[in-house]
This record gives sequence, structure tokens and C-alpha cells, in this order.
Amino acid sequence: MTTAILVADRITKRFAGHTAVDALSLTVPPGVIYGLLGPNGAGKSTTIRMIMGIYVPDAGTVSLFGGTGGLGQSERVGYLPEERGLYPKMRVLDVLLFLAEMKGMDRRAARPKALAWLERLGLSDWRLRKVNELSKGMQQKVQFISTILHDPDLLVMDEAFSGLDPVNAQVLKETVLELRARGKTILLSTHIMEQAEKLCDSVCIIARGKKLVDGPLAEVKRMHGGRHVLVNFDGARGAADRVFADRQLVAKADVSGQFAELELAASADAQGILQALVSSGARLSRFELAEPSLNKIFIDLVGPEAATAAARPEEVARG
Amino acid sequence: MDKILAVVRREFTERVRQRWFWVIVLLGPLFFGGIFILPTLLASGGGVKRIVVVDGTTSHLGQRVAEQLTQSKVFVATSIPAGGRGADTLTLTDDVSAKRLDGFLLLTDALVDSGKAEYRASNVSAFKAIGTLEGTLRGLALSVRLERAGVDPQIVARSQVRVDLDSKKIAGGKTTSESAAQSFSLAYFMGIILYMAILLYGINVMSSVLEEKTTRIVEVLLSSLRPFQLLLGKVLGVGAVSIFQFLLWGLSARVLIAQRSHLLGSRATDDAGQVFQVPHVTATTAIVFGAYFIGGFFLYSAMFAAVGAMSSNEQEARQAQQPVTMLLVASFISMFAMLNDPGSTLSVTLSMVPFSSPIAMPVRWAAGNLPLSEVALSLAILFVSIIVVTWIASRIYRVGILMTGKRPNLKELVRWVRAA
Repeated sequence: MTTAILVADRITKRFAGHTAVDALSLTVPPGVIYGLLGPNGAGKSTTIRMIMGIYVPDAGTVSLFGGTGGLGQSERVGYLPEERGLYPKMRVLDVLLFLAEMKGMDRRAARPKALAWLERLGLSDWRLRKVNELSKGMQQKVQFISTILHDPDLLVMDEAFSGLDPVNAQVLKETVLELRARGKTILLSTHIMEQAEKLCDSVCIIARGKKLVDGPLAEVKRMHGGRHVLVNFDGARGAADRVFADRQLVAKADVSGQFAELELAASADAQGILQALVSSGARLSRFELAEPSLNKIFIDLVGPEAATAAARPEEVARG
Repeated sequence: MDKILAVVRREFTERVRQRWFWVIVLLGPLFFGGIFILPTLLASGGGVKRIVVVDGTTSHLGQRVAEQLTQSKVFVATSIPAGGRGADTLTLTDDVSAKRLDGFLLLTDALVDSGKAEYRASNVSAFKAIGTLEGTLRGLALSVRLERAGVDPQIVARSQVRVDLDSKKIAGGKTTSESAAQSFSLAYFMGIILYMAILLYGINVMSSVLEEKTTRIVEVLLSSLRPFQLLLGKVLGVGAVSIFQFLLWGLSARVLIAQRSHLLGSRATDDAGQVFQVPHVTATTAIVFGAYFIGGFFLYSAMFAAVGAMSSNEQEARQAQQPVTMLLVASFISMFAMLNDPGSTLSVTLSMVPFSSPIAMPVRWAAGNLPLSEVALSLAILFVSIIVVTWIASRIYRVGILMTGKRPNLKELVRWVRAA
């Protein structure tokens, strides 16, 4: 097994009044897209800031690329914070060159790369404009370029897709996939499970600063899956609801209109449910044995807590 | 180190590119030119004054006064007898209001008896004019008294001596060619420049910190370099801008001073010499000035940076900066007291206290002769204070720069300093 890119060992961060992150451990293997998932206020940003060396953990350690964490390795890391921002009065190209210098790049070496990226994302004509003359979407692209301009081995994106229009989100997704194809590692945080499910190889779900589950996505699904059946009705539902309510067959049913996600009861067999549904008079357009969606696992795990976390005021320093 | 240099470069180029920088470069010489030229114009009071001497003396002194005043080339005076045509004060006042006259002098026997006369004019603050007037009247009253006492008028005439006091400053055990007026103007000038520059560029550091905080770019920066490096680069960058500004000002001042007589005309330069002379700046003076500027700038920018870091928007910052600004303003105001008496206990104290010494010490230095040991002690205190203040400020900066929400109170600030 290759050395992990990032290891956080029981990191803890307390702010006045509460613990934002509580003895959280996670391991990010190389060459994967790793999702840090959790509801708002779960401690995702605080965790990421500790990984980036912006916050010093009150306890625990962070190790990057097998060495100590923090600023020492910052040249190999690209960081896209949750709250985006650039110098509004600087020219686009100057901002990119300055931020590349902050990552230890030589100004002259950064220049052709910056121009190439601007070209690629369709911003060539804007390179000498001031940042505040750009639209929000364009500023997002510029900021994204600034995080990958120095060709980092680890890309950390906090709430990667928030505020992106579908086109920009697609560009971002493609670029991220391309980076992974080149052997780079990506750590992203999000609370949008559909995106995480499509992109991530591994995930870590946290709530209230504590880890609930982590590991490769397939493994997490298997562990929390049980046996799942996806059902689509074709108009008539017949007496399907009675089947769903039968605890001998179905342990849990998540029904929404023409669609239902079922969890089989321990003793039940998928074929038995199919039979029961057909004989109940329901017309089916789909009957599929499936793993649970990440969304379902997420809601099962953090459901009750998510509500309380969201209701709590944001922690100091927007951790 | 490369990163600090990159921060310095960004601060420098972005600032020099801004329009306001060049506006200040251009306005500076105008402002300082004003400081030099205005007193000159005020002193000369607009050139030769036309006045009327209303002669109410029984011995008809008016004619002699008018002659002597006209000889001084400061006045063109005509004497008319009191009670004569156009000699009533109402008509004369009208003439002054209509600018047909600059003023009029009312002479009675009281001039010789008790040394009293009255001068009414549109401008009574032109001190060269007033000085000439007083000198002439005093001389005349003296002559008349002596003549009445039976002294030979010939002797009286010969005993009249005009004294021109030429004061020289003693510096470093040598008498320099510098006059008291020159020392005064140098001290005054240095005080103003130090005050303005420290305030202007200190606030620049503050708004730069605030900009990075409000745009949230600071988070990206802090993932790449330590807060102290960022702060240091920022202060050095803004400092470099201010030195660049001084160079440009110095250059234009040279041109301005060289062209001074040209600009004012030969008439005014004569009078200007009385009040504001171009000070002679020695190398030591320049070094003292430079050392205190750099020290003062570092001390105050560290405080301004902390203010920027603990505020979330311009409004908050404007409020929070007030205690810092007041420190500077108080030092500036006390400069005027110090100019009167550079050796007083107050002056000495102010030139030792680190928050006022950057202005106080250069002012004292320029105004009078100071032992170098005093300067060295004051600089040492300033240096130690810079280290202490920067240490505290960088801690506040470190914690504050990532905070949003309400501004911390004093208790929380103390906790930040301890925790960081």
C-alpha cells in the first residue's frame, strides 16, 4: 500500500463555548477524490483549515505527504476556501501571478501557465481587466485557476460547488476528474450528496465535529446498505402500500410518488417482494436490486442531528 | 523570504498604480509650497503700502514721519494736517474700504509725550510693515524728546543707529550660518511631514489588512505563509511606497526651491528671508529624520494593522482607529509647545515616550542643539517599543484576521494576545 497523502490523527479544535471538531481521524490515500461530507456546521471547514495549517489543532496531528502538516508543504497543496475572494482592484493576471508566488512559484514560470489556463477557461480577453469588472462566475473560474496553477499534488476544495452555475460546475468537475487521472489527490467538502456520489472514490461523513463513517464509497455503501430495492410504478400502485408496510418483507420504505426505495427485511427475499407487488396489482416500470444512495446513508446517519446542527448559530470564526 | 518579497512587491506596485498616489505626489509640493509661500506673502503684505499720516501734532512731525516711512520703501506716505480736507477718520476709513488706501496713521502730541499713536489699516498682521512703523515712530519720538531737552540735533541725527540682529545657531560646538528662523522652519516642516506621513501610510496598512480580510483572500494567503510574514511584507511594501513618495517630493521640492525667487519675484524673496528661509538640511539631520520616520511608521503601522484585523468593515475600523490616531495627533499638537521651548521638561519627556518621540525628537533636534546621547536613548526606547508593540499587534492580527462578527472588546483582545 502506498503512503497516504493526508493523515489526520484525532484532531480537535475548540472555540469559545463549543468543540467544533472532536478527535477526528481520517486518511486520504493517493490518487482519489475524497469527500468530506456533513451538514452545515458539522465542522468541515474547521477540519479543512486545520489540514491547511490555518488553524493549529488544540490536540492531534495532521500529516501531509508523509511529513508534518502545516505550511511546510503548502507548495504542494492547492486550496479553494469556502468563502471565495480575490483582490478586487487587481488585474486578473497579476492576481494569478501573485498567488502563484505565494505557492513558491517563480513569477516568470507562472506566467505562461496562467495564460494557458485563462485561455482554456475562456478568460483570455479578461486577463488585463480588474477582478471587480468580472462576473461572479468568471471570478470563480479565476479563483479556481489560482488553486491549481502551481500544479499541486493535493487539491483541497471547501464547498467546491457552492455558487457555481451548471456550466461552471461541469468545467470544475471535468478538471477535477482530469487531475485525478494525472494521479493527483482531491479532498473536497460538500453537503450535496448527489455530487459526492458521482465524484468521490472515498468519503468521510461527519456531524457535530465527530466522524460517523469513512472509507471507500463502495465499502461505506455495503456496510450501511443492507439490501435495497428500487421500485418505479407505472401509473397504478394498486395495494403496494400494504406490501411496503409488511415488516416481514420490508424493513424500511422511502416512498415518493412514483418512486420507492426499499430496504429488505432480514428474512425477506427480493423475489418475494416482486411477487407480492405484482399480485397487489401494482404496475411496475422498474424493479432493481441496488445499493443505497449516499443521500440515504447520509440522512440515516445524520438525519436527526442535521436539523439541530443547522439550527445552531454559526460558530465563531465561521469554522 | 521570497514570499515576503512577493507581498512587498504587490503592495508597492498596486499602490503606485493607483491614481491617488499620483494625486498626492502632485498635491504634496503644492501644499508644502503653500507653507513656504503663504507666510512670505503675508509678511510682505502685498508690497508697498499707501498710507496717509494725519498730523495732529503741534510741532508738525507728520511731514518728517511721512518722509522717513517713504524712505523705508515699505510705505508711500503723505502727510495731511488734522482737521484739513479729507483728514476725518470716516472719509479715510472709506478710502481704506475702497482700497484707495492701505491704511492711515493718526499722530497727536501723545506720540512724544507718552509714546502713543494709532494705525488703522486693512491688514495689521503684516509684521514687517508694523515693525517699520514702530521703529520709525520710536526713533522720531526719541529725537524730538532729545531736541527738547536741548541736545544738538546734529548729535541726535548721528546717534541714530539702525540695528539688524543676525542670529546664528550653535550646533555641534560650531556657529553655523543657520538663522533662528531657519531652525524654526525646519523643525516645523519636519514635524508636519512626519505627522502626515505616519498617519497617511499607517492608515494605508490598516486598509490593506482590512481589504484582505473583507474579501476573504486572507484565508488563501494564510494557507501559504505565516501571518507574521504577511504582516511584515505588507508594512515593508507600504513603507517602500512612502519612501518612494518622499523621493518624488524631495525632487520636486528641489526644483521648487531652485525656482523660488523666480516664482515669487525679486520683491518677495527679500521679505521671505525674514520669515521662512529654506532650511539647510545636514546629513545628520536627514539621518535623524529618516530614523524616526521609519521607527514611527513601524510602531504605528503595527497598531493600525491590529486595528484593521479586529474590524470587519470600514466603519468599524474608522471607530477603532481613533485611539491610535489620537496618540499621533496629540504628539503633533504638542509640537507647537515644544517649538517655543525645546528644552522644557515636557519637550524632553515627549521626545522619550515612544508614541510621541517620532515627531517630538526630530522637532527638538531641528529646533536646537541636542546631545547625541539623548537621541540615542530615545531611539533605543523606540526600538524596544516597536518590538513589544509588534509582538502584541501581530497576535491580535493573527486571531482577528480570520474572525468575523462583532468587534472584540478589550477583555477579548487580551485573551487573543494570550491565546495566539
